[in-house]
Amino acid sequence: MSTPSDQSPAPLLEVKDLQMHFPVREGILLRAKKSCRAVDGVNLTVAPGETLGLVGESGCGKSTLGKTIVRLYKPTGGQIIFQGDDLAHEHGSSLKAHRRELQMIFQDPVESLNSRHTVGDIIAEPFVIHKMGDDAWRKKRVRELLDKVGLPANAAERFPFEFSGGQRQRIGIARAIALEPKLIVCDEPVSALDVSIQSQVLNLMLELQRDMNLSYLFIAHNLAVVKHVSDRIAIMYLGRLVETADAETIYRAPKHPYTRALISAIPEPDPTKKKQRIVLQGDVPSPINPPSGCPFHPRCPHATDRCKAEVPLLRDVGETGQQIACHYDL
Amino acid sequence: MSDPSPDSSAKRAPILEVRDLVTTFDTDNGTLTAVDGVSFQLHKGRTLGIVGESGCGKSVTAFSIMRLLPQPMGHIAGGEVLLDGVDLTKLPPEEMLKVRGDRMGMIFQEPMTALNPVHTIGRQLSEVYLLHRTKDKREALRMSVDILDKVGIPSPEVRVGEYPHQLSGGMRQRVVIAMALACKPSVVIADEPTTALDVTIQAQILELMQSLQKEMGMAIMLITHDLGVIAEMCDDVVVMYAGRVAEAGPVEKIFASPSHPYTQGLLASIPRLEDERKALLETIEGMVPSLSDMPVGCRFQNRCPFRTEVCAKHPPVDQVGPGHTVACHRWREIPSYVNKYSGNSSPEASTKEDPAQS
Repeated sequence: MSTPSDQSPAPLLEVKDLQMHFPVREGILLRAKKSCRAVDGVNLTVAPGETLGLVGESGCGKSTLGKTIVRLYKPTGGQIIFQGDDLAHEHGSSLKAHRRELQMIFQDPVESLNSRHTVGDIIAEPFVIHKMGDDAWRKKRVRELLDKVGLPANAAERFPFEFSGGQRQRIGIARAIALEPKLIVCDEPVSALDVSIQSQVLNLMLELQRDMNLSYLFIAHNLAVVKHVSDRIAIMYLGRLVETADAETIYRAPKHPYTRALISAIPEPDPTKKKQRIVLQGDVPSPINPPSGCPFHPRCPHATDRCKAEVPLLRDVGETGQQIACHYDL
Repeated sequence: MSDPSPDSSAKRAPILEVRDLVTTFDTDNGTLTAVDGVSFQLHKGRTLGIVGESGCGKSVTAFSIMRLLPQPMGHIAGGEVLLDGVDLTKLPPEEMLKVRGDRMGMIFQEPMTALNPVHTIGRQLSEVYLLHRTKDKREALRMSVDILDKVGIPSPEVRVGEYPHQLSGGMRQRVVIAMALACKPSVVIADEPTTALDVTIQAQILELMQSLQKEMGMAIMLITHDLGVIAEMCDDVVVMYAGRVAEAGPVEKIFASPSHPYTQGLLASIPRLEDERKALLETIEGMVPSLSDMPVGCRFQNRCPFRTEVCAKHPPVDQVGPGHTVACHRWREIPSYVNKYSGNSSPEASTKEDPAQS
């Protein structure tokens, strides 16, 4: 993990051994007897202008990881080094200062917008929170932002319910870019949208990235979408990363058995293609009672006794920066 | 039930035929037509995919066939639904009870809401058998265990005593499938059966549906918005847009040489694994008009790049090829779809009406 940055600049975000455990309260006294290890020792980096895709199935902890990075949760352990400062233990005003550069786009554009505020108020709220500009300046910025995300200027006076899902997601994007952040954590930004609208929103995000030199941490379960927008991809399983590589390598030469199964399970929109599907048995185990050793071993077709006992750590394979958490080279 | 030549099925009478189905909803804003003249056929042992975006009427079509429209707002305002030649829209409700669950089964999208949380799996499954097959509760439970075993639920004799919340999402969907297939129906309608599931679980469920179809020979009507699922599962496809059928045909034809501008736009706008990264995607501009505000004539016209004055008239349904129909005035004139993905697709697909070559 501590490879010197030979050609790439210093990372914008570096997450080191991040843990987010939630207490599970049981019994009459609601004592926390167990914990849900939603994120359990994740290391990752995001370079300036880069998109890191984060893929995994529901319950693997990818959304929790995203929310912990923007510090909507206080991590149980580890470091979140953003522009050189560790956010993991900051709070109050020093955290607020960092939030200007670290924004989030949420999955559900209905629930993430306050239905009692006008769109103009929603987009201007970051300026209010950070005490930026006067009313006239804020109004002007809102108009500019609406234009940037492809909404008409009169949208500012209207309410979120007057807009379709795709337009609402554009409002969420406008709010996220209002403070000109460096990094945006996007939690399933297009999962709730129809195919024809999804491509419009993805194009908008790609254009904004080019214009504003944004970095994205792009969280989604749809690997085709993630691969399209990402430079590098990390695959997550039960709170841990099992493989990271550049987007092309993940798709063409996946090394971890879980990544292979995941890619082979994606139904491709091409009826002439008859591919060999690896159908995994069983379900994702619960992060409250994670299996011993490798978290993937109960479903892995290649599991051995070593996998049951020993937790595999991410290690380099090949020269392209590909890393897998597996004991074997399969 | 035993047919020696399943391949000739296209020529035989369909098991289920929908003719000019019109479904309306009474709302505060007047009567809305959610499904407007939809026709298609379903054949034994084959899978028909219905694809379209939210609000295109695909689920309403399914609920109309099952006569499960929300009451009192939903009505079948016209058309016929013929199951083995009998028009279901004319059946009295008591007769319909005998059809539902016995000759037609339905798999719902959300397995948690499709199952009753306060009854055990066994009780819910037995209900199907007690309605259609047996009076004996013990026998019904035994049959339930058998069907759970068939859909791949481990230790089914234990699971019948459990409640839906004790099962995972994939297992719950298996139970819903078991319920739909309990009486070996000839038609199964699956409404987004894997949308709520993860990819690896989706792969399990799709494989299960395929193997059960091979074994039991039922016709499946698969409703989904996922073109990938359509490509993997279906023999034929109906593409719906705003309550009407835009294009219908064999799955290979629809994917290799779509004739309707909407189908073309839909196929072009999905990000694919072999795409160049970070390239801008093709889009269909604008959005689906609302039901109360449909344009006259072709409903796709306000988003269509090939729109002319003629599109203000109701588009005719033209025959493109065997079994392949399109509802577009201009399908002959518009540029044929360039399929940049299937390098190994059949040659006839790519040579379709290319003026530059002739």
